Amino acid sequence: FRYTRNLVDNGNGKFNLMILCWGEGHGSSIHDHTDSHCFMKILQGNLKETLFEWPEKKGNGEMVKKSERVLRENQCAYINDSIGLHRVENISHTEPAVSLHLYSPPFNTCNTFDQRTGHKHKVTMTFYSQFGERTVC
Amino acid sequence: LPAGLSQWFPALEVLDVSGTGLTEMGTELLSLPCLHTLLAKNNRLGGPGSLPKGLGQAPLARSLRVLNLSGNRFSEVPPSLLQLRGLRSLSLGGNRLHGIPPDIQELQSLEFLYLGGNFITAIPPELAKLPCLRYLVLCDNKIQSIPPQLAQLHSLRSLSLHNNLLTYLPREILNLVHLEELSLRGNPLVVRFVRDLTYNPPSLQELAGRTIKTRNIPYTPSDLPESLVRYLSLASNCPNPKCGGVYFDSCVRQIKFVDFCGKYRLPLMHYLCSPECSSPFSSASQSSTSQSESDSEDEASVAAHRMQKVLLG
Repeated sequence: FRYTRNLVDNGNGKFNLMILCWGEGHGSSIHDHTDSHCFMKILQGNLKETLFEWPEKKGNGEMVKKSERVLRENQCAYINDSIGLHRVENISHTEPAVSLHLYSPPFNTCNTFDQRTGHKHKVTMTFYSQFGERTVC
Repeated sequence: LPAGLSQWFPALEVLDVSGTGLTEMGTELLSLPCLHTLLAKNNRLGGPGSLPKGLGQAPLARSLRVLNLSGNRFSEVPPSLLQLRGLRSLSLGGNRLHGIPPDIQELQSLEFLYLGGNFITAIPPELAKLPCLRYLVLCDNKIQSIPPQLAQLHSLRSLSLHNNLLTYLPREILNLVHLEELSLRGNPLVVRFVRDLTYNPPSLQELAGRTIKTRNIPYTPSDLPESLVRYLSLASNCPNPKCGGVYFDSCVRQIKFVDFCGKYRLPLMHYLCSPECSSPFSSASQSSTSQSESDSEDEASVAAHRMQKVLLG
């Protein structure tokens, strides 16, 4: 019922390569990338990426949008923590989307952010499947 | 659809005519006895002849499980669609719907309902009469409030409400024990604690009704006009556990924040019998800038167990 993260390759511990499958209307939270490089390529459909500024230390207000764009099939994007935070969404109500993600070094926790307040919350990310096998929770 | 379709392919189970510019689907559909999946997204359906007449009597009414009509031009849910009693999955995403017909409750087998990306302003309480509904998508519409009856959707696991016009949620949402995912971003949810929104003083009828209920004054249907007997049956209990009061129409609407997952604060609508009747745990302060502290400890712990993933940020 949410987008799925499917691990394809773990590069001997140097990177995580995964495929994300987004149903109609599925979106991620606003999140950071735990000091890693993040590359993304659209394999099918379209994904909207909204960039946000890091919230102020004592921030207690709405987070500031930097920019947004719609990434089309075969387009690539890159982000890391020094660039900012982002939310990725499939805004289509008719087409699913598929994206390829490369994270280096690999990470399994990150922070999610409440857009209304800037409050952050550490989360552990899980895989729906790994190397073609469904991950049992 | 080409004439003779059912003669050439009588065993057809899956038909995908998406992206073909179709403006109508005719009687060819009625004689496909094995069809369980019909995908007709991104067409020009929506006018009068979009679905054939007599759909309710065709074998399709019992055999069809999945119907995808997303990306078309429907401004209302075609009534004949509601005769597809075997339907498990229905998508009308990205159309021009302004509302949901109450007869949606006819689709008793429905498990998946996608209505995102329309112009829906309100949800009929009859939507709650779908006992198998597990996945409900209402994102990207113009919905201002959720009827509390939606809490009766006992099978609901995922509810998508992002990008609407919601300012609060009914507190009954806490009753959705199986709900695992709830998306609420892009709604003008009340951030600051708001007390005592509105209060119209009760009428004499209401005061009399309250007295009868709280003092347990006995009455029989022969004692009172039928309209008053009905009125007395509509009494609601004040949710304040320390208050034994009831209310009929006159109540204070109070927005109360309840913690989900220990992190996110959602404004839930409470109805109390009077402005004096506040929850025993609520803070009496008028905090202006910071969000108020977690009010009812009991409610917060109950909510945390029941809601696992709230996609708010």
